[in-house]
Amino acid sequence: MEVAIIGCGVTKFGHIWDKDHDDLLVEAVYEALRDANLELKDIDAVWCGTFYPSTGISGNVFSDSLKFFGRPISRVENYCATGMDNVRNACFAVASGAYDIVIAAGVEKLMDAGSRGLPPIEGIFSIGMPVVSAPGMFAMAANRAFKEWRWNREDLALVAVKNHYNGARHPKAHFRREVTVEEVLRAPMVAYPLGVYDCSAVSDGAAAVVLTRPEIAKKLGCDYAVIKAIGMAVETMHPWHRPSESFLSFPATVKAAKMAYKMAGIEDPRKQLDFGIVHDCFTITELINYQDMQLCKMGEGARLIREGVTAIDGDFPINPDGGLKSFGHPIGASGVRMIAELAKQVLGKAEGLQVKDAEAGFAHNLGGPYSVATVAIVSKP
Amino acid sequence: MASISDCGVYLPVWKLKREEIAKNTGLPSMGGEKSVAHWDEDSITMAVEAARKLKGNFDAVLFASTSTPFRIKQSASFVASALDLENAFTMDFSNSFRASTNALITANELVDSGEFERVLVVSAECLPLKPGSIYEQFYGDGAVALTVEKEGGAKIIGYHSSYQPLPGSWMLKDELLSYDMRLDAMFGYASSIQRSAMSLLGKLGMSPMDFDRIVASAPDPKSYEGLLKAVGAKPEEFFFRTTGILGTAHPLFLLASQLEKTGRILLGGYGEGADVIAIEISDPIQTNLGKMLESRKEISYGDYLYNKGFIANRDAPDRPPITKLWREEKSIIRFYGMKCRKCGTVSYPISRCCIECGAKDDFEEVKLGEKGRIYTFTIDYLVSPGNYVGDGAHPHCVAVVDLEGGGRVLFEITDTLTDFRGIECDAEVERTFRLLFEKNSFRYYGWKARLVR
Repeated sequence: MEVAIIGCGVTKFGHIWDKDHDDLLVEAVYEALRDANLELKDIDAVWCGTFYPSTGISGNVFSDSLKFFGRPISRVENYCATGMDNVRNACFAVASGAYDIVIAAGVEKLMDAGSRGLPPIEGIFSIGMPVVSAPGMFAMAANRAFKEWRWNREDLALVAVKNHYNGARHPKAHFRREVTVEEVLRAPMVAYPLGVYDCSAVSDGAAAVVLTRPEIAKKLGCDYAVIKAIGMAVETMHPWHRPSESFLSFPATVKAAKMAYKMAGIEDPRKQLDFGIVHDCFTITELINYQDMQLCKMGEGARLIREGVTAIDGDFPINPDGGLKSFGHPIGASGVRMIAELAKQVLGKAEGLQVKDAEAGFAHNLGGPYSVATVAIVSKP
Repeated sequence: MASISDCGVYLPVWKLKREEIAKNTGLPSMGGEKSVAHWDEDSITMAVEAARKLKGNFDAVLFASTSTPFRIKQSASFVASALDLENAFTMDFSNSFRASTNALITANELVDSGEFERVLVVSAECLPLKPGSIYEQFYGDGAVALTVEKEGGAKIIGYHSSYQPLPGSWMLKDELLSYDMRLDAMFGYASSIQRSAMSLLGKLGMSPMDFDRIVASAPDPKSYEGLLKAVGAKPEEFFFRTTGILGTAHPLFLLASQLEKTGRILLGGYGEGADVIAIEISDPIQTNLGKMLESRKEISYGDYLYNKGFIANRDAPDRPPITKLWREEKSIIRFYGMKCRKCGTVSYPISRCCIECGAKDDFEEVKLGEKGRIYTFTIDYLVSPGNYVGDGAHPHCVAVVDLEGGGRVLFEITDTLTDFRGIECDAEVERTFRLLFEKNSFRYYGWKARLVR
């Protein structure tokens, strides 16, 4: 598969009390169109990702925001991987030749729900089962990793320190401030052993990319990056009821990565790719992602962060943009934003955060209780 | 006549010093401590916990309590399904603290008639008591279960019941009231018990000298001691200083305390009249009463108020429909999982397709184990116990537990408030029947886990 990214638009992420989801979508979409040097009327079809019905449901979330009527629009929802699954659907539609130029957009208004952590969703937990918050789900992985591999809270803190260092330099990040290990360790507990700085924030934001086939991109004379592969896998939303679940690896990521690597002809990501963006909803998630993305062996994730391998100037930079840790995680938008960040990096446009000689990288979006994962590979044409 | 063949006691994990009540309410302390239920316990859950100690099947369940959570919805049937009884005659006894002796007398008749073989008599109490009220120091929470069948170590040799209208104590809504507690003490208790006892002795052709011990629940401990003094007998342990009066469950609790010694006893239950039952214990019955008393921990008045719902955030997102609870009763209440015939995996809950191999409709239903080990866990400050919205002060402890005999289940860890020592990977836990949460004017029950008591 080869799909060209010809335009990217990303709003500032954060506590955006004064804008509604439609304002954010308009901002991201028009920025992407400007980037592609196109107009809205040039778009054949749209995929729009939102997780919470309170942000918006159906194709109307997009059509009514932009008053873009009379074309095909699908709303995509797939837990926290909503954003990138949305891009995946758009990619295959373009690659099939059914449409020539499409938009994949995503938006989320989390602040309006007014809750600590993610707003609860009705009915997703069955009656006999205790409710677990998102940090709680990943805290269970952390506690098992602590037991199994002797990782500790300081290893996790290093992830926050690294990502906030990068995010402090990104103009659109929610948090533009560096943190220290001490600050991370001192922060209030959210779900043991994860404290406030081990968690990504609840933020608002929107992102959009304009996609087409490379030959059309060339004809239009656009600068473009190429999506070479998108793998995707769905596992169980009850990992705690599956006896084979290790909580040390997220099978959805493992399978999505294998799919994407195979599609793009990658045998050794550490050699054939230059950097990556992983779903760091929580610090522990990033360390486990290293392993699941085949950047190291099982149990070695903490070593990578300790040795600085994944720092922006390291051997294999991870989350040079600052990650969800710095941006927060407006669910529908995050995966789309990750694709935009990849495009920026491989086109050499990541001012101040440019990974040296970045030619190809991956992005990873993970959702639910590690039940949904999407992995995309983006490179120079 | 029938016999009692087995006995199970349940006391919640908490005990509250009366001095702690006194310190916080300004009322004088009556000394000792009382038994306090965890926030997720009520008379239904404690009854199940007491009854789970008993072995074997039952063809009738008689439940006695004045604090049933539902005004309409039978408690006995809840107990029967939590015990996974195939079929049983179920009946609630209520509205008087002698409802438990009423139930024991009824059980005796059911067995004696030959209609029923093994009857479960279970009594539990968890009274709503107003903080700072006189009754707050009197009553404690707990449950007792008895197996009544033809043969057993403790034979019922006779009983007599009489009623006596008297403005003693009553409850209209959720507050225990009395006109004057002295009325019960002066005109109700001793005379009612003596009247029933004398009639019983007459029927049996026996005298008080033919009995080794007399236990009779009372509105207060002094009334019991006074009664025993009046008949020239030595008072037995009344447990006021250790558990408080367990309301309806107290007569059976006193009986439980006598079952480990042989001898002939008189058992009294009081409440606007009295039931007196003569029991001959020829073969002592071991109970877990001592173990229950010993395995408790102290609670502060503030935490006690939390448990009783006076300090708490009990707001929850809407829950799935009650119809789902009904459809999945076998998994949620009876606690069955499935064993895949294809790959052998035991998993929870019952579902048409195996969670490991996906085999469709190819499994057998299996009852899951009582104990297990924590695979992993978290202490979640965004949620409060019972799935309520987190208040930041009372975190929700949940654990992934691998059960003995197979099956992995996510449990809420209960009987903890803010101290989570001992909750770690590989720690041993056991199942306990609890209120999961209350929402939309309904109480949802199910299983949780706690550190092994």
